[in-house]
Amino acid sequence: MGLLGWVRDLMSGEDAAEVAPPPKPRPPQERRRVDLRKAINAVSDVVQNRPRPLRVFDQIHMKTGDMVLQSETIADWSDGKRLAFIGDGDAISVCIAYLQARGVLDFGPSQITVFDFDERTVEAVMNFADRERITNLDARLYNVLDAIEPDRPYACFYTNPPWGASNNGESVNVFVQRGIEVTGHVGEGVVVIADDDDLPWPKEVLASVQGFAARHRFYVSRMQRKLHEYHLDDAPELKSCNLYLAALPGNASPGPSLPITDPLRLENFYGLSQPPTVRYVRARKRLDYGVAHEDEYELELLESGRERDH
Amino acid sequence: MAVNEIIRPGSGVLFMKIGTHANESLADIIARKTREIRDAGFGMWGYGGNTCHPASMVQPFARTFAGRGRTIHLCMEEMNSNHFGEGVAREYSVDGTTWQEIPEAIEVRGSRYALVIEDLHEEKFQLPLDQTRVPVGPSTGRLGSRYIQGRVDKACLEVLEAPELSNDADPRMIGIDMVATLRDPYAVFLRGER
Repeated sequence: MGLLGWVRDLMSGEDAAEVAPPPKPRPPQERRRVDLRKAINAVSDVVQNRPRPLRVFDQIHMKTGDMVLQSETIADWSDGKRLAFIGDGDAISVCIAYLQARGVLDFGPSQITVFDFDERTVEAVMNFADRERITNLDARLYNVLDAIEPDRPYACFYTNPPWGASNNGESVNVFVQRGIEVTGHVGEGVVVIADDDDLPWPKEVLASVQGFAARHRFYVSRMQRKLHEYHLDDAPELKSCNLYLAALPGNASPGPSLPITDPLRLENFYGLSQPPTVRYVRARKRLDYGVAHEDEYELELLESGRERDH
Repeated sequence: MAVNEIIRPGSGVLFMKIGTHANESLADIIARKTREIRDAGFGMWGYGGNTCHPASMVQPFARTFAGRGRTIHLCMEEMNSNHFGEGVAREYSVDGTTWQEIPEAIEVRGSRYALVIEDLHEEKFQLPLDQTRVPVGPSTGRLGSRYIQGRVDKACLEVLEAPELSNDADPRMIGIDMVATLRDPYAVFLRGER
């Protein structure tokens, strides 16, 4: 277990509840200790590259400290496997790949593909992978309402979807459905969703998602409670959990992936009376990516500078 | 307008702290905004932050309560502020996609969003936050008195039948200084500079 693993276990404490053993336990493997400073600085590089969130699509970023711990957790869970991200505004995908590429983690997935409807996110992933020469990270523009047909199945999926406060978790279920499909109904997944003891709706959503998974012959293999905080002005105390799903033995695909068009599933997708109306968020081409936008500021020159200009 | 009409169980209230400056009193603001409402047929009250996003929070909240035949009241608490909004917005949009010119009579400064209001007037009363609950967004179900704290200074709220009694906190009342009613489309995005 790395330093981050130790910190994570310390933080999760009694809330980390093992519901059932993982389906295919791997032999215990000694992990090299993680250099916390290198890990945080690597994640800082990723955060610098991340597009700003669009709240109207429920894009809300995880706080940086939690991203560091989450990246190590997910890298450990998906070690050696092909991992698909069904949406990834947080850029956990990039963090994992970058931590591996920089040698901060000596474990992690063999391949990472991000499926996201925001072209800014897709371009940020591709640009980062290109700049850092990360060959096992790519991204595709994809809307979760469309059928998903990967060239070959992924072993596992990760999603941190709109949390479904206004639709009893149906928006989460849409993302989970695509995650299950991308693994050919035989893989594993991590779903990051709200987890709060005071509010009623996160409990309803957790129950709804677990029920949905069960109907697709997936079971809850583990749940790490109240792990992550977010840059969420109107609910700064709201945390999320990692809900681990795994296919039951012998599970099979009931048929091809199909577009999702049922208005009942979509009417409150991004919040109350907020059905999806946008297929893709398109990126405007800019030359100042990652630095201050030109329309944010203007320069007032020193007197001597002005004189020279004259 | 009777306070009982505002704090009526099942009603929708949008609470907001508003900054007033030494150079413009509450009465001045009301006079200026009332002229805008008279000349344009409605007024715009500029604001920012993410807690009352026009499309994901205010519009669905207001439409739900309007659908029940309820008037949504904007209840404002005055506070001193050193922040002066600069830049007068040029265009507004209900959905963030289709934009139109802001009427000449309306001036909204230094804001990303605006509430669409009418009937703005001074009215002083105590809003019992323990008798309100958040009905929309990620904090749905949270009591108003627990929601409005720290950086959260505005909220869409539903008035409950009775205050929630709690042993761990005193009842929380907020002094309201000014009231308006929201009108369709309730909240809009702003952009550009006039």
